[in-house]
Amino acid sequence: MTLALKELLYKMADDQLILGHRNSEWTGMGPLLEEDIAFSSMAQDKIGQSLALYTILQALGEQDPDTVAFTRNANQFHNCQLVELPNQEYDFSLIRHFLFDTAEALRFEMLTNSSYEPLAQLAKKIRGELRYHTLHANTWIKQLGSATPESTERLQKSLDYAMPFALGIFEPSPNEQELITTGIFEGEVALQKKWLAKVESVISQTKLTLPDLKSIKPELGGRKGIHTDHLQPLLDEMSEVFKIDPTAEW
Amino acid sequence: MNSLDPRVERLPKVGEEGKINPKAPLDQFGTYEVFVEPKPGKPFQHEGAVHAPNLEMAYVLAKETFTRRFTCSSLYVCDTRDVFVSPMTEGEQSAYDLIDGTSIGEGKSEFEIYHLVKRGKQHIHAGSVNASDAKGAMLQAKATLNNGKLVYNIWTIQKDKIRFTSEEEKEYWITLPEKKFRDASDYKGGDKLKKFLEQKA
Repeated sequence: MTLALKELLYKMADDQLILGHRNSEWTGMGPLLEEDIAFSSMAQDKIGQSLALYTILQALGEQDPDTVAFTRNANQFHNCQLVELPNQEYDFSLIRHFLFDTAEALRFEMLTNSSYEPLAQLAKKIRGELRYHTLHANTWIKQLGSATPESTERLQKSLDYAMPFALGIFEPSPNEQELITTGIFEGEVALQKKWLAKVESVISQTKLTLPDLKSIKPELGGRKGIHTDHLQPLLDEMSEVFKIDPTAEW
Repeated sequence: MNSLDPRVERLPKVGEEGKINPKAPLDQFGTYEVFVEPKPGKPFQHEGAVHAPNLEMAYVLAKETFTRRFTCSSLYVCDTRDVFVSPMTEGEQSAYDLIDGTSIGEGKSEFEIYHLVKRGKQHIHAGSVNASDAKGAMLQAKATLNNGKLVYNIWTIQKDKIRFTSEEEKEYWITLPEKKFRDASDYKGGDKLKKFLEQKA
């Protein structure tokens, strides 16, 4: 049971940490001041959520959050590949934010009923943060998804590109059945179904078209430590200051 | 782009002979006014403005621009053009003294009223009135909300122009008091520097 639970906690925490870091790369470069602040704040929220999850892992016998976050190599991370992809243009960052945060908010919503109390408590605590993140994502997608030919075309291109990676969020795990049986988590298949319905409902309010999921091969492997070439440079940069003096007090 | 200096970019371009063009619109968003309730039971106060393409986007952007630190229990926004402003006064004169006319009785629309009671500070929510237009609202406020305290300026906004926070949305700020890392004083940088220098000496 602990193995399956740790697996769940690690993939969630690693997703939040890596995407939090990626989104923070927009700080000071966002498309307008107000959006720069909003995106940076949400990046901080994500890193805070990863800290909460690593802290639960520490209580289960794993190393402390700083060690776990800053000293592992890429092949020891369990995030999906979607979150490690470079930011590129803002249209891609927005689409990723929309696709990922929709899944994340639904995942935590499901976890509010988890039989594992620490996760249920965390899920209830951060519900408001996730509610804002999805409001932010949905409002932008609805706005730019129907605004001008350029905005819809760019979002559509990013949506088509991101979708195989987004399906990688729901990569199956051999140990997952235990989580389902013990009432810890309903599982990735159930989550993906809810996610697709939510994504479809937002996209249908725009001029964007959801690619046919049957024709897409999901980009899997992230949960098993198989990553793109983009993750290791991100980790090197993220841990650069920490590694100068791991004992420093901040 | 000709230059990274925006002043150079703003210079009018040399045109072609005989060409007459319509004036190009400015490539920027309009503004929306942001009001924040710092704690439950405290009046809403004006915090500033955000740029946005519409009211809903303004709400989304206002939340992090103005309530990412300290505490907040609710927030609302409206188009800057929906805020009506009384004459400003100074010294011992109340802005209500400069609102003339007789009240034509209560109108159909609800208006929010804001007072500036200290110059250089924010406008603070004072109450609501029913009226048919902004001037009528200020006359109603003169009769019902003018409690003798000096008011230097009055704002009024028709309530149905405002994007409010719903009851369910109030959970946005539940974790905000914990985000002390956004407060520079929480780092106690001075104390750490002092300790470091003492160790060095």
